[in-house]
Amino acid sequence: MITLGNYLTVSAMLFTIGFAGVMLRRNIVIILMSLELMLNAANLSLVAFSRFHVDLRTSLPNYNAQVFVFFIITVAAAEVAVGLALIVALYRARRTTHVEDLTTLKF
Amino acid sequence: MSLHPYFEIVVFVGVALIFPVMPLILAWMWRRFFQPPKPGAAKNATYECGMESLGEAQIQFRSQYYLYAIIFLIFDVEAVFLVPFAVAFTGLPVGAFLSILVFLLLLIEGLVWAWGKGCLNWAK
Amino acid sequence: MSYFDLLRLAWPEASIVLTALVVLAIGLTNRGTRPAITLLAMVGIALAIKNVLRLPHDAILFNGMLVISPLTSLFKIVSLALAFFTVALAQSESSLRHYAEYIAILLLACVGLMLLVGSEELLTIFIGLELLGLSLYVLTAFDKIDIYSAEAGLKYFLFGSTASAFTLFGISLVYGMAGSTSLAVLAQKLSVTNAQPLLAAGIVMTLIGFAFKIAAAPFHLWAPDVYQGAPIPSAAFIASGSKVASFVVLGKILLVGFDSARGSSDWHAMIAGWSPIISLLAAMSILLGNFVALAQTNVRRLLAYSAVAHGGYTLLGLLAGDRDGFSATLFYTTIYALTLLGAFGVIALVRRETGGDDLQNFAGLGQRSPLLAVCMSIFLLSLAGLPPLAGFFGKFYLFSSAFRAGANHGLLWLVALALFGSLISLYYYLIVLKVIFLDERSTTATAPAARPMLVEVATGVLAALVLLFGVDPSGLVARIVAALA
Repeated sequence: MITLGNYLTVSAMLFTIGFAGVMLRRNIVIILMSLELMLNAANLSLVAFSRFHVDLRTSLPNYNAQVFVFFIITVAAAEVAVGLALIVALYRARRTTHVEDLTTLKF
Repeated sequence: MSLHPYFEIVVFVGVALIFPVMPLILAWMWRRFFQPPKPGAAKNATYECGMESLGEAQIQFRSQYYLYAIIFLIFDVEAVFLVPFAVAFTGLPVGAFLSILVFLLLLIEGLVWAWGKGCLNWAK
Repeated sequence: MSYFDLLRLAWPEASIVLTALVVLAIGLTNRGTRPAITLLAMVGIALAIKNVLRLPHDAILFNGMLVISPLTSLFKIVSLALAFFTVALAQSESSLRHYAEYIAILLLACVGLMLLVGSEELLTIFIGLELLGLSLYVLTAFDKIDIYSAEAGLKYFLFGSTASAFTLFGISLVYGMAGSTSLAVLAQKLSVTNAQPLLAAGIVMTLIGFAFKIAAAPFHLWAPDVYQGAPIPSAAFIASGSKVASFVVLGKILLVGFDSARGSSDWHAMIAGWSPIISLLAAMSILLGNFVALAQTNVRRLLAYSAVAHGGYTLLGLLAGDRDGFSATLFYTTIYALTLLGAFGVIALVRRETGGDDLQNFAGLGQRSPLLAVCMSIFLLSLAGLPPLAGFFGKFYLFSSAFRAGANHGLLWLVALALFGSLISLYYYLIVLKVIFLDERSTTATAPAARPMLVEVATGVLAALVLLFGVDPSGLVARIVAALA
């Protein structure tokens, strides 16, 4: 039997993998993918919570979180769009897509 | 005897592994036992027939592709909102229909803007 | 609740979106000259302020997704006013090549502010945060010529979206524990459940995103780069609007939603909860912001580090946690936003004349244009907190409410730290003023070109406002206190 805990474990693992990717990777496109992974981890836990929060009167799951997930999917798409646009802008100005090269601004 | 509910998936995974791997093993064994190695220029080419490949495999894509990807992405995700609306369409009041029209108009304005700015023209 | 009511209650936001769309459409035609677009945006914002004033006194839609109350209306007006001044700053910014798009995105960011301010539900708050954040990332990277702009934008994007992913995961955990995303229901559910590790993780992760937005140390890393690299109007809007809205919504989340998980940060009786975490953030921000600001040679970077410190001071009011404290936070952040917008106006004018915003570019400003120098000194001294300027009363109100809060003056340690920080900050603000008034003008300064009227007028008005709220703060304070009642 799969319990809420299993879903949450997977979701926490996905989130950790995504965060590790953001921290460790050097290529901005891959960092962007890791960010998506973090958002999707939140999606997974929201859907799992929704499924296990059963309303006792109607015996239906609590659908609030599923609507939330729709919005997160959209926001994630917008985030990718903005991220890609920024990468293109950076590439045109600097000819690079690596975070180590972002060093002209510092104290 | 009751099987685990996910037993079928395990079977499926097994079959999915066997189907591609078995022919590969058979082909390898055929080459091993029946075929003498006779390398030649034609045999060592990447493709024995078809076009010669040009340039490096690791190339950078033009940023033009990103623009198309971005525009596609927005219209792709729009479906997430349209499908639930379509499913519940018959039970909804007129206001809901007007709201979804406004939603579509917002997206269309984006498309018109991108078109007007020439984002859809392929820059040589 | 009919769709017509929804449209009526969300009309201020809707009218701003309409203005943004019209601005975009006009930008496509060849009629989109700068003055026309500026005028259109200003009229749109003014109409939206009028619409806010005509909203009903109290209304709640969909479990708090859209809340109309005196508090939300007041801060919608503040957000709109900040956007108005930002448009005035943008008018003469020569580096913005696609002006119509710039203004349209600025207006959309303003809608994000209004959504943030006007909702008491986590989903809408998240969407407001993202709308604001995504617009600001684009506004930061808007200058195609300046190589700093794209880099600052990308850094802001990477930090910002990581922080918002944390917030989102935190929200999902909080939802899982409470079964609702409405702050009112959340408060009710949390007060009956006892503390669970998952809930604690959820609250901490939710707070990370907001700590990022208000640039509290150690989540401040983006701020100096963005303040320095972004086009000046964008930096001004990030420093003012984004901060005000974040403090309003952070206050609502902490004091309404998570109220039962407060804990205590009194020095003699620490209790686990969000209060010790926030007090730690505040203490780190005050120390780090002030000390690093001492070493800066670029005025925009200096303002960024001082912004980190000011974020720390402002958190004191939330730590006090009562109505007085929250109103002190709101007053201070509003005053701070007006001051910083004005300071960025002066920086824009100086940059236009001397081509840079380093400290030496300000040399001799007192002789070149005395009026501008006086405005800058009003802004800087208000930030330092000298009477009779608005910053003095703001700090006084904030520190006294934190001092009185809790049993036995428990927040005394933070108040002492904040006073110490203010003392340090006086030093670096005075250094800037010394350069402005005493140093010889550098030879690189070109002959003063025709100054853009709009920026000058906006800066003057902001300076007058800072002076006015310092001499007589009772009007704004009474309004905020009445709104919180």
